[in-house]
Amino acid sequence: MRWGMVIDLKRCIACYGCQLSCKAENGTPPGVFFARLLKHEEGQFPTVRQLFLPVLCNHCEEPPCVEVCPTGASFKTEDGIVDIDPDMCVGCRSCMMACPYGNRYFNDKPQHYFPDGPTPYEERRTARHQTDVVMKCNFCRDRLAVGKEPACVANCPAVARYFGDLDDPNSEVSRLIKDRGGFPLHPELGTKPSVYYLPA
Amino acid sequence: MTHASVKYERMLSDLRMDLRPQREWGEGRGLFLVIGHFVVGIAAGAWLFALIFDRPAALVAAFALAALGGLAHLGFLGKPDRFWRMSMRARTSWISRGFIGLSLFLAGAALYLAPQYLPGTPWGSESLLADAGYAMALVGMVVLMGYMGFVYTSAKAIPFWNSPLHPALYVAYALRGGVAALFVTALADGGAGELPAVLLPLWGGITVLVALFFMLEIHGALTSGNEAARRSVHDLLAGRVAVYFYGGTLVLGLFVPAYLMYTGLTGPLSAGAMALLGVSSAIGDFFMKYATIRAGVRLPVWTHLTPQRR
Repeated sequence: MRWGMVIDLKRCIACYGCQLSCKAENGTPPGVFFARLLKHEEGQFPTVRQLFLPVLCNHCEEPPCVEVCPTGASFKTEDGIVDIDPDMCVGCRSCMMACPYGNRYFNDKPQHYFPDGPTPYEERRTARHQTDVVMKCNFCRDRLAVGKEPACVANCPAVARYFGDLDDPNSEVSRLIKDRGGFPLHPELGTKPSVYYLPA
Repeated sequence: MTHASVKYERMLSDLRMDLRPQREWGEGRGLFLVIGHFVVGIAAGAWLFALIFDRPAALVAAFALAALGGLAHLGFLGKPDRFWRMSMRARTSWISRGFIGLSLFLAGAALYLAPQYLPGTPWGSESLLADAGYAMALVGMVVLMGYMGFVYTSAKAIPFWNSPLHPALYVAYALRGGVAALFVTALADGGAGELPAVLLPLWGGITVLVALFFMLEIHGALTSGNEAARRSVHDLLAGRVAVYFYGGTLVLGLFVPAYLMYTGLTGPLSAGAMALLGVSSAIGDFFMKYATIRAGVRLPVWTHLTPQRR
C-alpha cells in the first residue's frame, strides 16, 4: 500500500481551491502552505501562455528529509506517508534543506492573520500547532483514517486531483499515470515522489 | 509594517521566485548555526595542532571553543531543550553524528584536561580515565572536522552545497583555523618566539589548499552545475553576498594574513602580529562559510520537464 496523488494539469484552473481548503482543514499559520500553486509565464507577446503547477509534499519513497533528520521526528508510515512528530522535532531545519521540493515550513512564532490578534477560528485551529518546529503536508492523515480523501482532493472544483494506491496497478491513479504519461518532479534525484502530474 | 509582516511578505515573494534563496540557515537565528560550525571547526583543528606541537593554551582554547560552538548550536535550535534527541539517528544523519562527535570531544577533552588544570581532580593526568578522555577527544575531533561538510552535501535542496569537495573544504577550514588558533594562543603560551617555525609555511600551505578546493567547487558549479548552482556562484561573486566574500574572505581573510605571513617569512614577527594573522585568518574563514551558506539557492521546482504539451 502506498498512497499517492495525481494532478491533472490539463484540468487545473488555478483557482487556489487546494491551497484554501488545505489551510481551512489544517489551520496552518501565515507563511505555512502545505499546498500551494506556482504560476509561470512562457513565451513572448503575442504567443504567451500561463502555466500552473500545484505543489505539495511529494511523500517520496526515498525521502531525503527523513534520512537527514537527527531525531527521528521525520518518519515514513507503512502506507508511504511522510510526516513529522512535532514532539520530537528540535527545529534544526535540516529536513527543509534536504527537501528538493521546498515543501517544509518552519513555524517560528505564534502568528495571526489579522493585526488585532488571533480570531476565534485561529485560536481553535492554528494555535494547536507547536511553534519552533517544522511543519508539512501529511496527505490529511486524520481524514484518511476516517475514510475521507485529503482536503485538497475533495475540494478541487475541477476534479484535477486523484488520490489512491500507487502499488495497486488497477487503481485510478496507477491507470492515469500509465495511460497519460504521468511524471513526477525531479525524477533525476532518485527520491521517487508519490505525487505525479499529467501533462497539460 | 511590523517585522513579522515584512518577513511574511518577503517569504511570499520568495515562494513566487523560480530561484528561491535559502534563509533558514544563516539569517536571523540561523546565524548561530554558522557561528557554531565556525568555532567547532576551529576547535577541532586547534586540538589537533595543539597536541602535535604541544601547546597547552591551545588545548584549553579548543575545549572552550567547542563548548561555545555547542551553545551556539543550541541557540539555533527551535527547541533547544530537546537537544539530546539529536543522538538518535546516527545511522543516517550527519547532524546526529556531529552531535555525538561534539559530545565525545567535550567529555573526552574535559577528562583529559581536568587533572592538568584543576587541582584536586580525583584522577591523574597519567590515569586510565585521562587516557580514555584523550582517545574520546581524538575521535570527536575527527568527527567535528568532517561532519559539517557532509551536512551541507546532504542538503539536496541546495545544489551549490552538493559538491563532493565540500567535506574536504571543511576539513581544510578546520586545519587552517587550528593553525590560526595556535598563532592567537601563542600570546598565552610563551610568545611567538616559542612557536615552531614550520607553522607559518603550514598555514600558507593549508590556505593554498583551501583556495584550490574552493576554486574547484566554483568551477564545478559553473561548468556542470544546474541553474541554481550557477545562481549561487553569481550571488557569491557578484550578487547579494559578494560584499562578505570580497571584504571578509579575500581582504580580511586572505590578503591581510598573507602579507603578515610574508613579513614573518622574511623577518621576525611579533606575538601581536602573529595573533593578528590568526584572528584575520579566522575572520576570513567565518565569512567564507557565511557567504557560501547565504549564497545557497534552492533547486527550482519548476523544471523544463513540467507542464509539457503532448
